[in-house]
Amino acid sequence: MSDDSTTGVRLYLRLRKLTFSHLTHKPETAAVLKRTVEALMERGAVVRNLENLGERSLPYKISKHNERHRRGGYFLIDLEGPPSIVSTMMDHLGRDIDIIRRGFIKHPVSKTEECSGIIPVNYEDKLIANKK
Amino acid sequence: MAARAVAAGRPWRRLIPAALWERPRCLQHEWQPGHPDQPIQMENPYKEPPKKCVLCGINVDYKNVQLLSQFVSPHTGCIYGRHITGLCNKKQKEISKAIKRAHVFGLMPVMFKNPSFLTDPKICNVKYPE
Repeated sequence: MSDDSTTGVRLYLRLRKLTFSHLTHKPETAAVLKRTVEALMERGAVVRNLENLGERSLPYKISKHNERHRRGGYFLIDLEGPPSIVSTMMDHLGRDIDIIRRGFIKHPVSKTEECSGIIPVNYEDKLIANKK
Repeated sequence: MAARAVAAGRPWRRLIPAALWERPRCLQHEWQPGHPDQPIQMENPYKEPPKKCVLCGINVDYKNVQLLSQFVSPHTGCIYGRHITGLCNKKQKEISKAIKRAHVFGLMPVMFKNPSFLTDPKICNVKYPE
């Protein structure tokens, strides 16, 4: 959805943000999440949903902020916001010690489930056409 | 021969080789109108539906690490090629993009396959050279 305002055209993107933090204690993770969501809202994003993907041991050891982490909690934030939010937020989250990794993805549009199957390609025709 | 025909008084037709004789040409597989007995034109009713790959109709997600791990080598963690997975163009691309995304986001191990997923059913037919 695009909105015309006095400052110019603002485009809103549907984004998803995946963060994981290494903290295990509940109040601290809550504080981290609160901080991130507040920062997002400051920059003019609308937070739709916040999902907890669980806490598990990381697939590989990640060293960040002079610490080696093995376990982390994964969080997924559904948000809508202007495209400029991405770079500023990545910068902001990079400075947060508690967040190990962050990433923004476009909200995946669930495509139509019609899959016509593997259509056999006629290689002969392709070859003859190329020759000409 | 011509002389005999002339002698008999019959009208003489010029000799034409058999290959040039005018014959009604109608191919059997072409539709000849007017005959109720002729086969009706229709699409092949016994046509098989197009083959579907394993993931046809399944939504591929970067969060679904178990599904993605099925297309990854258990020893090196490298993504199997199209000739091994047997997926169609679209799905192979989707899977490889999702796997790389999962690597970056720290959801899936890179150098090996997650040990808890080793007993998953095998989709890819990896042939080892004898």
